[in-house]
Amino acid sequence: MISFGQRSTISRFAIVGLLLVALACKRQQPLSGNLNVENKVAMRTVSLYYESPELLLAPERRNLPLPENPAAALDLVMRELLKGSVNAAVSRLLPADTIVRGAFLLPDGTVFVDLGGPTLTQGWSTGSHQELMAIYSVVQTVTANFPDAKRVRVLVNGEPAETLAGHVSLSRALTPVPSMVVR
Amino acid sequence: MKRFLPLLILAAASILLAQAPNQATLRAPTGDRQVTITHVNGQTLFAADEIMAGVGGSVSPDATGFKASLNNTNAAFGPDSRFGVVRDELIEMPIAPAIIEGRPYVPLQFLQGFLNKAADLEVVWDPVGRVLNVRPTQHTIIGVQLSVANIQGISKVVVSLSGPADYTIIKEQSAYTIGFKTQIRAPFAAQTYDDPYVAKAAFSGRDLRLDLRTPDAGADAYKLENPFRIVLDFHKVAPGAATLPSIVIPSKPVDTPGIHTIVIDPGHGGKEVGAIGPDGLMEKDATLTLCRKLADNLETKLRTRVILTRTDDSVVPLDQRTAIANQYKADLFLSVHMNAAVVKGAHGSETYFLSLEASDELAKKAAEVENAAGKAVPAAGSSDLKLILWDLAQQEYLAESSRFAQAVQEEMNRATGVQNRGVKQAPFKVLVGATMPAALVEIGFITNPEEEAKLKKDDFQKLVIDALTTAIARYKTDYETRIGVIRPSAGAEKRAGTE
Repeated sequence: MISFGQRSTISRFAIVGLLLVALACKRQQPLSGNLNVENKVAMRTVSLYYESPELLLAPERRNLPLPENPAAALDLVMRELLKGSVNAAVSRLLPADTIVRGAFLLPDGTVFVDLGGPTLTQGWSTGSHQELMAIYSVVQTVTANFPDAKRVRVLVNGEPAETLAGHVSLSRALTPVPSMVVR
Repeated sequence: MKRFLPLLILAAASILLAQAPNQATLRAPTGDRQVTITHVNGQTLFAADEIMAGVGGSVSPDATGFKASLNNTNAAFGPDSRFGVVRDELIEMPIAPAIIEGRPYVPLQFLQGFLNKAADLEVVWDPVGRVLNVRPTQHTIIGVQLSVANIQGISKVVVSLSGPADYTIIKEQSAYTIGFKTQIRAPFAAQTYDDPYVAKAAFSGRDLRLDLRTPDAGADAYKLENPFRIVLDFHKVAPGAATLPSIVIPSKPVDTPGIHTIVIDPGHGGKEVGAIGPDGLMEKDATLTLCRKLADNLETKLRTRVILTRTDDSVVPLDQRTAIANQYKADLFLSVHMNAAVVKGAHGSETYFLSLEASDELAKKAAEVENAAGKAVPAAGSSDLKLILWDLAQQEYLAESSRFAQAVQEEMNRATGVQNRGVKQAPFKVLVGATMPAALVEIGFITNPEEEAKLKKDDFQKLVIDALTTAIARYKTDYETRIGVIRPSAGAEKRAGTE
């Protein structure tokens, strides 16, 4: 019963959010299939968060050509995060087969990050620490690079998920936790 | 704020003015009389001997302070403590009583606490007229209305109340009884229903008894305000859960406060295997082995009722684990897990309690949804509201959960000698919705080959079980001492140990 209500609320939110984003884009300039053409693309240094040997999230700086429109840039930054660290000694936090299905920002500062892939779909077997690190690497990367983003709600295959691996509740948007990040 | 400044000045002035006179009127059932009052640190204090004499009692000095007596009930108080003692209960006061020229003066709260317990009297202070009203307690009668409806397979029993009321819900085989602490006005003596779960509702004294058709119905109970109501959702218990929890000890409701029922939750189960060690040890197996032994140890050493959320390799949904604890009115909840990390060499235990969104924000959301639902019975689709209430459940226990988590982590560190990974907060699903102090312990990193090997060994398991038992015993003693169930000196050391 909970999941039905939740699902409809979320999809309602998602639709409203997408409409707002679409409207915002339209007001500035005609929407085309390629946002990179319509939006000015500039090189930006982004911070991607991976786990350090001290078991904390540490930023890895990377230069990326990004559209100025955060709605389009978000998606690209998320995909970049999931590529993993350039340092071979730093392991991936999310399963290697995880994909970003989409990411969008609502006007109230909530970012929806929609993940997918075989492991997350079938059920991921891991412990609390890794699950926390994986989820908060997403939350931290989003909020550190996009000042308008205040909190992150993680979806799986476009729908609300209870957890990724049986520990961390995804039923609400998560805010960054400074104690999980290197000083 | 500025608008209120004149009012504040006026209020301050009136307080200053009221401080000068030291006489007030005691208006008791036996008539009016003048009593002496004084002010200390902005608090009004009343001459205890005059007030007690006015209501037919007395005050006399005793070894450590003073003793107030009325109707064969005694209360002890003194200038050294903000707490008075009546029978076995404490009366908390904003400041300690004062002794002025050998005469004891007490705050209003002492008079309210003592006269209520000794003679069922209500004490109200009117600072403007300087009248202390003492009268028999007005027992409000709460009007009760009942509705039963089956919506989408769930039978919703809504008990609407004319005002706030304290109650307890006691589950029996095939029946639920709501016991009200205040007097109620019932709409009928008994009524039968043509409902898949609820067969009959009957009022008797202050109790409302709901007889069920089947013993296997589960219920979620929650209370709502504006208007006040208690809602019980009866539904079929999920398949596989009917046999859970399998340790069934007669559910005699324990009225005395304290830690009597403990729910231990072995993490994961069935196809949800949890973390897997390099040598193949699965989290779900390691937690079950450990928790079974822990349950035995707790029952033997602490003589508490212990319930496991699973006793075999089965899938138990996360919210059902908490629901089991709530249903058994558990006093403590501990979820046991094995950790995993991608970083090599991660080791040690850690203990978590729940982190929540700012409570006021949640409460606001609950109010919004509640208002949007209107005054009607919550619709079947009121899951948003249910979700928010479920989220709020653990909120009021967070301080206790933090203390409990602290005790667990300290004992784990002591036993295993590993570095302190400390007490942390995280939004763990299994802790959301627990209406009791709740924590989640990560025993060690199953992904670390050394720790995985240790987790399989009997002697290490025993070490961990003893540490967790000591932690629970410590928390139990600490909690029961703080609420005054056991005296601080009464063998706290002995009870904290696992013998």
